[in-house]
Amino acid sequence: MQFTINRERFVQSVQDVSKAISPRTTIPILTGIKIDAAEDGVTLTGSDSDISIESFIPVEENGEQIVTVETEGTIVLQARFFADIIKKLPENTLELSVTDQFTAQVKSGSSVFNINGLDPDEYPRLPEIDESSVFKMPKNLLKSMIRQTAFAVSTVETRPILTGIHWALSGEKLTCTATDSHRLAMRHAEVKSNDADLSFSNVVIPGKSLSELSKIIDDSDELIDIIVAENQILFKATNLLFFSRLLDGNYPATDNMIPTSGKTNITLETKHLLDAIERALLLSREGKNNVVHVKSLEDGKIEITSVTPEVGKVTEHVATNSYDGEALQISFNGKNMIDALKIVESSEITVDFTGAMSPFVLKPAEMDHMLHLFSPVRTY
Amino acid sequence: MNAWKDWEETQPTAVNVLRSSIEKDRLAHAYVFEGGRGTGKKEIAALLAKAFYCKERTGAEPCHHCNECRRIDSGNHPDVHTIEADGASIKVEQIRGLKKEFSMRGLESERKVYLVYEAEKMTAPAANSLLKFLEEPEAEALAVLMTTQVQQLLKTVLSRAQVLSFKPLPPDALIRTLMEHGIKQNDAALVSKITSNVDEALTLCEGDYIAEARSKVIQLMNDLSERPKYTLITIQDDWLSFFKEKTDVQLGIDLLMLWYRDVIRMQVDQTDRIVYIGCEEQLEADALKLNLEQLGKHLNATMDAKRRIDANTSPQLVMEQLLIRLQEG
Repeated sequence: MQFTINRERFVQSVQDVSKAISPRTTIPILTGIKIDAAEDGVTLTGSDSDISIESFIPVEENGEQIVTVETEGTIVLQARFFADIIKKLPENTLELSVTDQFTAQVKSGSSVFNINGLDPDEYPRLPEIDESSVFKMPKNLLKSMIRQTAFAVSTVETRPILTGIHWALSGEKLTCTATDSHRLAMRHAEVKSNDADLSFSNVVIPGKSLSELSKIIDDSDELIDIIVAENQILFKATNLLFFSRLLDGNYPATDNMIPTSGKTNITLETKHLLDAIERALLLSREGKNNVVHVKSLEDGKIEITSVTPEVGKVTEHVATNSYDGEALQISFNGKNMIDALKIVESSEITVDFTGAMSPFVLKPAEMDHMLHLFSPVRTY
Repeated sequence: MNAWKDWEETQPTAVNVLRSSIEKDRLAHAYVFEGGRGTGKKEIAALLAKAFYCKERTGAEPCHHCNECRRIDSGNHPDVHTIEADGASIKVEQIRGLKKEFSMRGLESERKVYLVYEAEKMTAPAANSLLKFLEEPEAEALAVLMTTQVQQLLKTVLSRAQVLSFKPLPPDALIRTLMEHGIKQNDAALVSKITSNVDEALTLCEGDYIAEARSKVIQLMNDLSERPKYTLITIQDDWLSFFKEKTDVQLGIDLLMLWYRDVIRMQVDQTDRIVYIGCEEQLEADALKLNLEQLGKHLNATMDAKRRIDANTSPQLVMEQLLIRLQEG
């Protein structure tokens, strides 16, 4: 294997794939970056077995020559050393060649590094991709979908399946659901796919992988391809492939948890509610419960209270834009509500209550693409 | 090379059970491999993992050269997980890591293998947290727990796995191999009683360690019968300065135990099977002096001493107590 490459571009790609590499892996080969030189360009791969990132550097881009591949080949090099080495090299181009069996030589200007590599055959194989079952969505939509659901995943490992976000696709409509069994966040979006009948469910992607993904992709309206394989899901942007392993097990059926009709329906300004709850939690931030009580008042206002016996009590009245239905008295975890209010991206929200002991639904007003469900807290 | 047929002779039961289960595709979900050091547990576990993944296996025999087999050998297979003691024990965090790994679908395949070395070192919380997915793994999984001390594993773990006992290797073969490496016969005979692992035996023989240990034992036993009053001084002067570390002390006591075994062999006229070759006269003298009951007491005393060392008693006190008990007759 031998190729000459633009250093800056190479450094960028190495940094991209390094994001997937964890220094604390039990599989020795995963401490390395796989470099694969082919006729059409150079592919770099990094993985920590949960996520894998592949970055492709084409021979030519925008009429500019980036890589010259002399001979094709593959090698795995220790990521930690390699990333530092190429960052510090003197010239604008570097030449990488595999001299002996698994020894690589990196040359730039007058500096020469000989690095011991690993056998590329030992590197985990990424799944074969069936291009027919692709669907597409804009990158910024994907990012906001991740942002609007990933916060709700469970952080405890007792039910590993809840640490993931559930994706289901049917009729070009993608539904993302995340829950930690106390609250639930759901987001719908229209996606494009070649095959309108493409559908799947019970695809559970670890929340951590998606957060990582949203750090890597940029905030543009370019389309990103998404392919669900048997054990992994693949996100495919220009010259960048992101694989994540899927969680094993059955995701709880969330559809029938969501109440369809409410007894009390409130519409109010997002900001007013958010501020009021944040103030209410000032007293209990140190405490464990974060419980906020909401009570309806006569004049269409609601009263928000929070009590921490050792510290004190806070009461605030919040005006509603509309109030229909029965009188209301309910308690819930304010922290969860804040998380949701911060990402609704709508100035007005509606909340549907179905009684003090049943879960309630929060939605951006006049929009149906997002839904948050909270279970109330028993206070007596 | 490591193949089933290499272990056929030494571990016929384990090999046959595993081999026919693989051929019939009826592997259990969890195995406990139990047996002394150097009996091939690790090798057979690797073989089993290879047979589990190898795509080109013929019967139960993995091909040993395909990608899967090579990666299992080098520890790079992404779906084979190994757990080894981190320090003195296998901690609950390690099992938790394994659990997390198992909550995901496999990286390359749906099937996963996990190998736990020195499973007796699992702390109680670790073993308990292993129970759950030992019993009901979410996907197709194969667990192999390896241990030299099966009685130290939790009953609940054992009842969820198939236990395969590995036989100690026949010492004759080991003695022969050791002698081929230039070890003297009397040392080789002694070492073969202590370990069945060739490499470990060779390490023990390095720098004539075992020869010297052997002469210390002979000296001590000689003192014990010729001039019993001096034994405590011998302990102080010779013994403790040579058997310094805990493992050395254990070895010393093991050697004493072997001596008394030889005395019994002398009494029942099995002279061809004694280990302290070349000390027949001394052994015979002891054999004439002691009756079976006394020998039993002596053996008990040495076992007690071993237990005490395990419980971190001072070696000097243990040895002195042992010698006093041995002199009681």
